[in-house]
Amino acid sequence: MYERRITKWLKKPLFGFLFLMASFGFAQDVTVTGTVTDENKIPIPGANVVIVNTTNGTQTDFDGKYTINAASGETLRFSYIGYAAQTVTLTGQTVINVTLVEDASQLDEVVVVGYGSRKKSDITGAVSSVKSEELNAFPVLDAAQALQGRAAGVVVQSNNGGEPGAPINIRVRGNTSINASSNPLIVVDGFVGAVFPQPNDIESIEVLKDASATAIYGSQGANGVVLVTTKKGRSGRLTVEFNTNYSTQSTSNELDLLNADEFATYQQAINPSYEQGPADTDWQDLIYRNGSTVNHQFSFSGGAEKINFYASANYFKQEGVVVNSDFERVTFLTNIDAQVTDKLKLGANLFGSRGNQNGVPTQSTGQTANGGGDDVVSSAFRFTPDLGVLDANGNNTINSVGDDIDNPFAVATEAVNETKTDNYRANLYADYEIIEGLSFKTTFGLSTRNIFDGLYRPSTLITTAGGSTGGRAIVASSQNTNLISENYLTYTKEIGKGDLTLLAGYSYQKNKTEGFSAGAENFTSDSFSFFNLAAGAVQLTPTSSFSERELQSQFGRLNYDYDDKYLFTATVRRDGASNFAANNKYAIFPSGAFGWKISNEEFLKDNEKISNLKLRASYGVTGNQAISAFQSLARFDNVLSIINGQQVGAVVPDQAANPNLKWESSFQTNIGLDLGLFSNRVALSLDYYNIDTKDLLLADAGQPEFLGFLTAASIRNVGEINNKGLEISLNTVNVTNDNFTWTTDLNWSKNRNTVETLIGGLDVFLDASPGYFNIDRTHILREGETAGVFWGFEYRGVYQGGPLPEGTAIFEGAEAGDQLFTDVPDEDGVTDGVITTADQKIIGDPTPDFTIGITNNFTYKNFDLNIFFQGVYGGDVMNLTNVQLFNGDSNATREILNSWTPSNTDTNIPRAALRGKQISSRFVEDGSYLRLKNIALGYTLPSNVVEKLGMDNVRLSLSGQNLLTFTDYSGLDPEVSFFGSGGGNSSSANTTNGFDFGNYPNVRSFTFSLNLRF
Amino acid sequence: MKTIKLVLLFIGISVIGCSDLEENPQGVLAPETFFSSIADLQTAVNGAYGHMTHEDFWGRKFSLTIMLRGDMVDIGDPTTAARRIEHNNFNVLADNGMIDGFWTRVYQIIGAANQAIAGAELVDADQDVKNEVIAQAYFARAFTYFHLVRLFGDLPYLDAPVTDIVAAGSINRTPAEEVYANIIADLEFAETWLPNTQPARSLPSKAAAQGYLALVHLTRGDYQLAYNKAKEVIDNEGTYELALDPDFQNLFNSATIDASQEPLFSLDFEAFRNGDDGQDYAPALTGIRSDEQYGIGGGWSVAVPALSVFEDWDDDDYRKAVSFDATGVFDGNVEPFTVFRDFNSRAVNRPHIAKYTRGTGTTANNNGRASQHNYSMMRYAEVLLIAAEALNEISGGNAEAFQYVNRIRERARNGNGAAVPADVSGLSQDEFRDLVMEERRLELAFEFKRWYDIVRRRMGNEVFSASGFEGEKVNFDPNQDYLLPMPADELARNPNLTQNPGY
Repeated sequence: MYERRITKWLKKPLFGFLFLMASFGFAQDVTVTGTVTDENKIPIPGANVVIVNTTNGTQTDFDGKYTINAASGETLRFSYIGYAAQTVTLTGQTVINVTLVEDASQLDEVVVVGYGSRKKSDITGAVSSVKSEELNAFPVLDAAQALQGRAAGVVVQSNNGGEPGAPINIRVRGNTSINASSNPLIVVDGFVGAVFPQPNDIESIEVLKDASATAIYGSQGANGVVLVTTKKGRSGRLTVEFNTNYSTQSTSNELDLLNADEFATYQQAINPSYEQGPADTDWQDLIYRNGSTVNHQFSFSGGAEKINFYASANYFKQEGVVVNSDFERVTFLTNIDAQVTDKLKLGANLFGSRGNQNGVPTQSTGQTANGGGDDVVSSAFRFTPDLGVLDANGNNTINSVGDDIDNPFAVATEAVNETKTDNYRANLYADYEIIEGLSFKTTFGLSTRNIFDGLYRPSTLITTAGGSTGGRAIVASSQNTNLISENYLTYTKEIGKGDLTLLAGYSYQKNKTEGFSAGAENFTSDSFSFFNLAAGAVQLTPTSSFSERELQSQFGRLNYDYDDKYLFTATVRRDGASNFAANNKYAIFPSGAFGWKISNEEFLKDNEKISNLKLRASYGVTGNQAISAFQSLARFDNVLSIINGQQVGAVVPDQAANPNLKWESSFQTNIGLDLGLFSNRVALSLDYYNIDTKDLLLADAGQPEFLGFLTAASIRNVGEINNKGLEISLNTVNVTNDNFTWTTDLNWSKNRNTVETLIGGLDVFLDASPGYFNIDRTHILREGETAGVFWGFEYRGVYQGGPLPEGTAIFEGAEAGDQLFTDVPDEDGVTDGVITTADQKIIGDPTPDFTIGITNNFTYKNFDLNIFFQGVYGGDVMNLTNVQLFNGDSNATREILNSWTPSNTDTNIPRAALRGKQISSRFVEDGSYLRLKNIALGYTLPSNVVEKLGMDNVRLSLSGQNLLTFTDYSGLDPEVSFFGSGGGNSSSANTTNGFDFGNYPNVRSFTFSLNLRF
Repeated sequence: MKTIKLVLLFIGISVIGCSDLEENPQGVLAPETFFSSIADLQTAVNGAYGHMTHEDFWGRKFSLTIMLRGDMVDIGDPTTAARRIEHNNFNVLADNGMIDGFWTRVYQIIGAANQAIAGAELVDADQDVKNEVIAQAYFARAFTYFHLVRLFGDLPYLDAPVTDIVAAGSINRTPAEEVYANIIADLEFAETWLPNTQPARSLPSKAAAQGYLALVHLTRGDYQLAYNKAKEVIDNEGTYELALDPDFQNLFNSATIDASQEPLFSLDFEAFRNGDDGQDYAPALTGIRSDEQYGIGGGWSVAVPALSVFEDWDDDDYRKAVSFDATGVFDGNVEPFTVFRDFNSRAVNRPHIAKYTRGTGTTANNNGRASQHNYSMMRYAEVLLIAAEALNEISGGNAEAFQYVNRIRERARNGNGAAVPADVSGLSQDEFRDLVMEERRLELAFEFKRWYDIVRRRMGNEVFSASGFEGEKVNFDPNQDYLLPMPADELARNPNLTQNPGY
């Protein structure tokens, strides 16, 4: 490809002219001058210009200009990191202007690693890089969303479908914990524990996956590390960019529910006295609308000789597809770097954002307190279609079957839930070169995150806050402050054929969170919303909280590259943390790695086909700071207590002291292979890993509850979990010629998660059903199984009456047309012919067999086309929506029309009846899908047109997101994430996978984008 | 040099970061530093009361369990959770979710009481003053173990705060006899130190301790001791400010119960709710689905008496009207129980319990979960019935015993001139024994007492036979079902615990 580019440039008139000139040259020293620029005509300062086979050379100045003396016949080599080097043989020219093109092989690309950077070809660990173009292929609110399907071994999922502002979960190589967070550490421009900048400001994202790469982050590294580098200004000309895009969005799917007549007939089969209501309402139609996204980005960047800068402002607004839900955010980012003296460099990163989310309640935890009625999506499925929004008296209607719940339209339009989030971050650094090869860098930063959450449920929502509740308002706020100071020395030295790099540093971090909430009920007017708590006649219990963690660490790294063939990396970090228990205050995390560039060995060096072959192997230990602040101390807690009608102070024992608690440790092995063929037109990376995570903090379900602590199960370091997997990345340049290029990027990964050790080997039963289901168990942790396999009855079809088929049973009192289940034998092998909780078993596994992302990029002249598929294969989904909809006490999908009747016996759907909600294999479905995540067609205006407009670059694009999804899943969307009462907290995010209930729907969108650069 | 100074400045800033990594918790309480005054002791005792009004205990799980196991209350809504139906049908397994749910909380009440008692050691004050406060904790501990020992028999028994989790977690079950001895000792301590009266009935008084001592002795068949204690309460009814409330309905009306002289000890719900703390589900569980009559959004028709309980009860007995709702209001119209199901498919066409829905108070909403009820754990009527029952066992056909029952019956007639329920006279020991049990069944109907009466009098074979109110309970096994299973997971956690027979 690189040679072809040369040819391309040779065709340029200027180049041809220079070539022509060369033929008149003489073999004597001449002074050659010129400018080195990139493809966008931006000068490249610091590019190397050397005379091949000599030690003579120079660098370009900050305008990209150079001057060198060379003789005719000698060859000049122009190179710069990240760009393909070019050579030009002197044939008498005195001016040689060179345009360097970015290196497609990316082997010389610099990859950011913790506390430094390495050439990609010298990396010994497992690191995935995601570039700015991929992050900005389509508009997203959170840069984390843009990582989905882009990097092998990195799984990204919204916590709540397409909800504007929903939290995004990132998993690097699976869940390495059960109760502690499995979220990776986010490091932005060196600031540990930052929030993502918005996607347009990101230059690149590196995901550090194996221990060799992450162990430098010690007790924060076990879940992988996401390093984000924001854009910097470049010396030279000023660039002003304006990007804007507009999307229109709609729900990607709706359920096919019964209409009012069908519903009445169905209900009358259950309860003959059911009287049909007066309306025919499609609740899904009422709560859904066409949404939109507007995203404007303005930035300017540039630099002078000693200073460069990048500044941007971004406005994002999304109107959700569920009425009344939206998100609005403004973000500012400024980066400044100043070369104060030859030896001292100073810089600052400043970041600020304000987000404002108006939420509608979806994905309810289904607390029995409101029968699950605070969830507009599941309510839209459940709610009877034969009622309208208002009853004859003008009140909001209440469901006529099942639990009393308010109608979904009323909840969506009248409930208020506003969340304002402010993020500010400032980080200063100084980089000082003490002697040649030895430099000292110190950074000092502070970030704050303030969240204000206001919620109001008006009294017109009768079952939620009506009657004597008289409206309910709750406000909550939290302030998080993160202070960080890091200081490290870097030393580089060439020793013979080897390159040595040493790093040693010290870091201090302090994180403080303060929270507060208050609420009231019984307002004289709904018009106060949540802004006048004093007007509530009933005050709810206010809360406040405080937690603080300190972390101080020493860390070091050694890199030694011998002869550009053998690469060694060793790292160590020692972390001391205040939240670690008294007897275990300090932890040490070592790692080591070896890389062998086989393609640089003599026997392969000249191989024409194999352009790159590298073997990597690493092993190391990383940690997870699973212990929260004050968790190892003996504690009391407050409890609500009432004497004589008054609330009184009351304390109860919460937990006993545990001075031996320690962090969780992951022992990770990684073996990787990088292969480049045909001048790296085919680049393949394979990584196999095995992660044993030990000392998992588990609530000691083995601690008897009769000890009487409020936290009935104290925390101990006992569990073990294993993740092993395989990752494949394949990047190919399929076609490249003057007018047409076609490249393909594919990533494939498989992760297998196994619970190895639980306390006492005991099963841990978990529940992800909405509270009002009154079900205790939906999934299980069991040694030898994936964390969170589904638990329930095994459905065997409809009981046709008469004797039970072998090995099956029915519920006591069930009759023909009811459900038939497997009769699970007890430990003595005896079956009892009746279905009880003893007949539950493992009925599904939500773990996918593999996940895949495929991107095809085509360019034809000024057009470019990007097609991005993302998919998951294997992995079951527990359709809790159907558990509700086939229960008899709600509306149902049209499938219910095929219920068993004495004359319709050949069906899998039991007779229409009211029955308890049961978890059974009847509701387990295959969750595989392949999705056309993005298809984008872009057009870049020809440069002559652009120049006339006085601009640098103009690009237009039209794209569509989530246009096609191939799946057999019967629910709304196979990409599900319902967490039950855990609501997505650490332990539920680790163990609760594959449950579907009331997700905010995924959206399909069409986007128009315009990029202008001046 | 200037740049060096800049660098040094940065290093200076980073030195701020040196820390000893000790935690200085704020907003959380450490046991060592908490106890310093008498008020702190009361705060610790209050923790035990606080746990009692949690959903796991009297808010729902515990109270519903013992309600459903009796013969007075059946399942209404057939789709209700299986873990509830299992208690009603006696096919409870050792992993039953109701037991699992309340077991933890019940022991947390005990843990809180133990902590309060131990905390007294840390408070520098006059021992008598301290005793007066921690006597409440002794009472709370005895009250709680008394519930447990009746349900499970032998128990893991702890009477001090746990510091060594491993040692405490591997104890054996203490024999029921020994548990009873400790309960009696705790109640006697409480009796000694508690005042004659308290500012509210939600604090135990001397009368409460004596009343419970009487019930404990009655349960154990120590009739003389039971009679003595009950008699002591009755003889001191003036000192203890005890009396039968003139109107039976007042006992189940949150507006009047605070002033009533009838309760000896009650659990106070007052619409202060924090999650499931202080959440009163009884109105929801017992109320009629979609019923509009109390403006609380109706109930859930979960725990609904068998129709025969209603039919068997004499209409002239005022307590019947207080105990039942035979009509509901739907779409603004009063409707009889025979059509309840027409208005909600999960309702059931039977009269529903009214004791917990009729007077939930001004703050009640969400099916009555924010009720202002006080639940009487023991009321004076029961003391009279204990005295009557015990005295009859000591000397049959005793007029004094008849007179206790007649006090109750007089109120049950409510001055309406009806002859029902009639005064008692001239009964034999056996006849009167049966009569007292019937009187308890009606007077204390749906008040969570019946199951314990069935157990202590071993009435299961009779009341769960085909002639029982709920029809034949085929699964009832007298060799198994008088005790609940020890929770299976608790046995797995502590292999030294044994399972009850049959499970």
